[in-house]
Amino acid sequence: MPAPAVHSRLLPALLTLLCVAAVSAGLAAGGAPNDADGIRIQAAGAPPPDAILPQTLDKYCVTCHNATAKTAGLSIDRLDVHDVAANAQRWEQIATKLRTGEMPPPGRPRPDAATYRAAVTSLERALDDAAAAKPDPGRVPVHRLNRSEYANAIRDLLGLEIDARALLSSDEADQEGFDNVASVLSVSPALLENYLSAARTLSRLAVGDPALRPVVDSFKISKALVQDERLGDDLPFGSRGGALIRYQFPLDAEYTIKVLLRRQEYDYIIGMGEPHELDIRVDGVRVARFTVGGGAKGMSAPENFAGNTQGVPEWEEYMHTADAKLEVRVPVKAGPHEIGVSFVNRFWEAEGVLQPPQTGFGRTTNEYYHGNPAVEVVSIGGPYGKPDAGDSASRRKLFVCQPKDAASEDACARTILSTLATRAYRRPVTESEIQMLLGFYKAGRQAQGSFDAGIQRGTERILAAPSFLFRIEHQPAGISAGAAYRLSDLDLASRLSFFLWSSIPDDELRTAAARGQLSDRATLQHQVQRMLRDPRSKALVDNFATRWLELSKLSGVVPDTELYPEFDENLRGAMEQETKLFVASQLHDDRGVAELLTANYSFLNARLAAHYGIRNIYGDHFRRVEFADGVRGGLLGQSSLLTVTSYPNRTSVTMRGRWLLANMLGAPPPPPPADIPALKEPGVDGQPQSLRDRMQIHRKNPACASCHQRMDPLGFALENFDALGKWRTVSDGVPIDASASFPDGTRFEGVAGLRTLLVSHKEDFVRTLSAKLLAYAIGRGLATPDMAAVRKIARDAAAADYSWSSIIAGIVTSTPFSMAIAGEDQGTPTGKARQ
Amino acid sequence: MIISKLVIPRRTVLRGLGSMLALPLLDSMVPALSALQKTAAKPINRFGVMYVPNGMIMKNYLPLTEGTGYEMTPTLAALAPFREQVLVLSGLECIPPPGRPGGAHAKASTRFLTDISPPTSETWLDAGISMDQILAQETGKLTQLASLELAIESGETAGACDTGFACPYTNTISWKSQNTPLPTQNNPRVVFERLFGDSTSTDPKVRLARLQQQRSVLDSIGDEVAHLQGVLPQSDRTKLTEYLDAIRGVEQRIQIAEQQSERELPLVDHPAGIPAGWEDHMNLMLDLQVLAFQCDLTRVITFMVGHEHSGMTYPQIGVPDAHHPISHHQQEPDKVAKVAKINAYHMQMFARMLQKLQATPDGDGTLLDHVTMMYGAGIADSNSHSPIDIPMILAGGGAGHLKGGRHVRFKQMPLANLHLTLLDQFGIHRDRIGDSTGRVDARILSL
Repeated sequence: MPAPAVHSRLLPALLTLLCVAAVSAGLAAGGAPNDADGIRIQAAGAPPPDAILPQTLDKYCVTCHNATAKTAGLSIDRLDVHDVAANAQRWEQIATKLRTGEMPPPGRPRPDAATYRAAVTSLERALDDAAAAKPDPGRVPVHRLNRSEYANAIRDLLGLEIDARALLSSDEADQEGFDNVASVLSVSPALLENYLSAARTLSRLAVGDPALRPVVDSFKISKALVQDERLGDDLPFGSRGGALIRYQFPLDAEYTIKVLLRRQEYDYIIGMGEPHELDIRVDGVRVARFTVGGGAKGMSAPENFAGNTQGVPEWEEYMHTADAKLEVRVPVKAGPHEIGVSFVNRFWEAEGVLQPPQTGFGRTTNEYYHGNPAVEVVSIGGPYGKPDAGDSASRRKLFVCQPKDAASEDACARTILSTLATRAYRRPVTESEIQMLLGFYKAGRQAQGSFDAGIQRGTERILAAPSFLFRIEHQPAGISAGAAYRLSDLDLASRLSFFLWSSIPDDELRTAAARGQLSDRATLQHQVQRMLRDPRSKALVDNFATRWLELSKLSGVVPDTELYPEFDENLRGAMEQETKLFVASQLHDDRGVAELLTANYSFLNARLAAHYGIRNIYGDHFRRVEFADGVRGGLLGQSSLLTVTSYPNRTSVTMRGRWLLANMLGAPPPPPPADIPALKEPGVDGQPQSLRDRMQIHRKNPACASCHQRMDPLGFALENFDALGKWRTVSDGVPIDASASFPDGTRFEGVAGLRTLLVSHKEDFVRTLSAKLLAYAIGRGLATPDMAAVRKIARDAAAADYSWSSIIAGIVTSTPFSMAIAGEDQGTPTGKARQ
Repeated sequence: MIISKLVIPRRTVLRGLGSMLALPLLDSMVPALSALQKTAAKPINRFGVMYVPNGMIMKNYLPLTEGTGYEMTPTLAALAPFREQVLVLSGLECIPPPGRPGGAHAKASTRFLTDISPPTSETWLDAGISMDQILAQETGKLTQLASLELAIESGETAGACDTGFACPYTNTISWKSQNTPLPTQNNPRVVFERLFGDSTSTDPKVRLARLQQQRSVLDSIGDEVAHLQGVLPQSDRTKLTEYLDAIRGVEQRIQIAEQQSERELPLVDHPAGIPAGWEDHMNLMLDLQVLAFQCDLTRVITFMVGHEHSGMTYPQIGVPDAHHPISHHQQEPDKVAKVAKINAYHMQMFARMLQKLQATPDGDGTLLDHVTMMYGAGIADSNSHSPIDIPMILAGGGAGHLKGGRHVRFKQMPLANLHLTLLDQFGIHRDRIGDSTGRVDARILSL
């Protein structure tokens, strides 16, 4: 889309800017140049690159990077430009430095833009040709399921909706922030214990073991969640506050649902001045209505509760115990159900002067006696009564047959366990595996005397199996080490489902793979399209987008309550929801990925609309809103991302600039050096001072400037957004100046200017996103040979204007995704390898 | 079962059982494993802390006389049966340095084991590693769990609880590092599962049956891994080797647990959740602590009877008022009496803990002989928030390091100095902690 003229003018402009540290560190990491290997005979059959590349290198690069000077350890004169394959890693590094415009450094002669671009294109083409001639797909080590993949697999296998955080410890993320990276996902005895324990718990839940003991699960609601309005689409109209909890009920039985109301620091229940009605619902059906409040007798404590003066004993007792009886016992069928707890809204306005919301200490202490009560804890206890396994979705999924009599039990057990194992292991199971599982079935059948108990034990064993917990890809027999090969259709099916669904393949995909149909392009693309339309593809938003965009940091953000008293859990939740809904809509509508930046719409509810200063949006429901102001809409105007790139008490042009460089433009700056002094507070000398003035230090100090002159201008363009992404025109007592420029003179202003600038680098953006998505898809960090694949994915998607589906189609057919390099020393099956 | 630390691979154990400090406790194993007898003579010391919030009515608590013949006070009365195992310490100070005003409650709980005053902030967390965690870093190498942090009240981990101070300052006393407060757990079910995994009871029969089931699963997945190892290229085997190592680690744990299961444990069934009654809840939390010590699942436990600034009510003893407000009693006799009632009630719970420890045989004595129990508050007089002469009791034999039966009065002794000496007793020698100025003479404690 960008006109070449614009592009060539802006390309060096954006990133002209050398980062001395980055260059030397980056090249040093590649190892010292091996001069002996520097000159190679041109590989037969590889077309010679354009003459423009060697000429440009000779003229502008070799002055410093030669065998004598060896600047940054690089001697280009000893590398053979006609055989880039011989030093592909080194050439990829050079290509990156050129692609991001970092070389030659400022002050050194530079070719004109057209020559520069032709040279880098020529080098990239040579690298791409070399990669095509000898594909190196790399190898993904044995891959453990991470926690969200485990939870999704359990959902798809057994129909159980579980909170995996309660069962498994969290997974480490790699440098890019992804938590599905094979080499990082480790195993420890503690984790194995988690798996064993989870296998038992989940298999008992799935079967509906009537011996399951009663358990009380408590769900605590943050005190910082304001409950003055209807909270969410899933709670009834006319309701106020409360919570909706999706809970997996293990058996058909009776359960208790108990509600505790919010207390302030002295344990007084808030809002007990008048009676309020509280409803408890199961799947939307009201099972209880309570009246609570208004029952306190006698002299009260002061209404703000702030002092140490108490009311009469009768009043005190009521204020501590008024919610003691908010409990109901109801029969519930096994399976996941929604428990809704909410107050009946009273449509009246409080008298007197409206008070600002309480924050910090005040929120936990001074709350109004006559204000709204709120729900603090919902506890679900059970199973009680006479529990029965019932006819749950889990049982229907698991028990694909029912034995008619004792004689048919073994055959049915075999069918059940082999079906489950095939799904769980994502491949056909062997006879010896089935026999082993039947051994567990028989032990359980005997010990506990029921068919179900036997199935439970077999299921437990499947859920503890390495073949379930690990993604193990099988290489063809007899292949020699280092040879590239196509993944089997079954392994490819697993890659597809973990990429698009963060889960195991469904029967349709696995069957297609078992029939060898995925090798057919059309079938493969049909499956990919089907999977993207499936609701499970929401995993791409939850697990890829949130981590790519660093949205996962939002939950840990703690804004300074003095400066941002308006921040509450409602706002935090709305911020996250906006970005997720926006990315999901882009994916769903299969838009061009650059629309993430340029879209003129987003999703708002009343809370977020108020934050953005947008009128006439009522209620907690998120709806699509279009903007004409060029401010909101697209990722750049979303408060979630503007907040995670800010400090608790101010914005950070540097953090925002880094975020843009790393996640949008694929040119991350190196980490900052140690021992950096903090910025001075504004107005220490009594004068208002803008952040921009204080940031001047970054320009004055050369050690800082090399990176900050790349990052800070990008951040300055976003200065109209405060640390919570709210629009502002004044900060620290001086008007905001959102204009920015790079050292070469390129100017841009405000979020609109930044958007235009980024769109002019659409190709960089597409490559960055493609690289991130490819790394996520295969679950390993990218290496030199993958760069050609990234370029190909971006190139091939251009015809479809870089639509999501075209990029995903490029990924699933790419060399790193669909192939692997054979490992060494393939062993032979043995049962005696244990020491 | 959730086991946060299990650092002894089987090979280590097979190589030298003498280094397994975890094992001497298990006297049922000793005859079978003669190497252990050499170390069994040296009993293990554990460290337990019970923290009470909002200070005390000091005139009802502090004995007037010193030495062995001190007179029991109303608040101490419950400890009478353990007089010879109890050391009442007075004259200890926990005074925040000047210049950081406010936050008396936040400082009381934060300083209690860290000896460092937090800065005024509702967002930043900044204290120091607490002495229990300094200890847990070492003892945690030998046990399943490095430490347990328990409480009766559930604590907020966000927001501000004392004016201008983030909630963790008042809601925990344990800090893993300068910026990492350890959240407390008040749900007995969660604690039980951390200690005993998915076993439904501490009943030996139930535990053993479950352990054997686990073992059969482990054996079978071990075979499966071995088979997979065989068909994989060499370079891919690393991850599965990790898995095999993990299997061996768990086998080792099961082996220890099986041997332990022959011991008589107090029968505790898998709790459903938090019992409704305060005392039932308390009893369960005490039982779990004794079990954790007895099975040597951990050697360090901190337990907050209430978080600092607590507004807990005690209608069961005739105090329906919230604790913190009435603790600012302004010398009104009825309020003073009620606070004293709470103080004595809490002390009864401590006595109950000591009783449970004494009733549990351990090596050549009882668990009480082999523990250092600390009971105290970060504030002395509730009404004035005084950090001078804070309530402090040590109980138990400390595996030979403690001798009770006395009231010892120090002169303006920083609490940090006592912390250093107690760490010494566990073989951990630090030059200083927080604002320590030296050490308490260890001979005074073990006289």
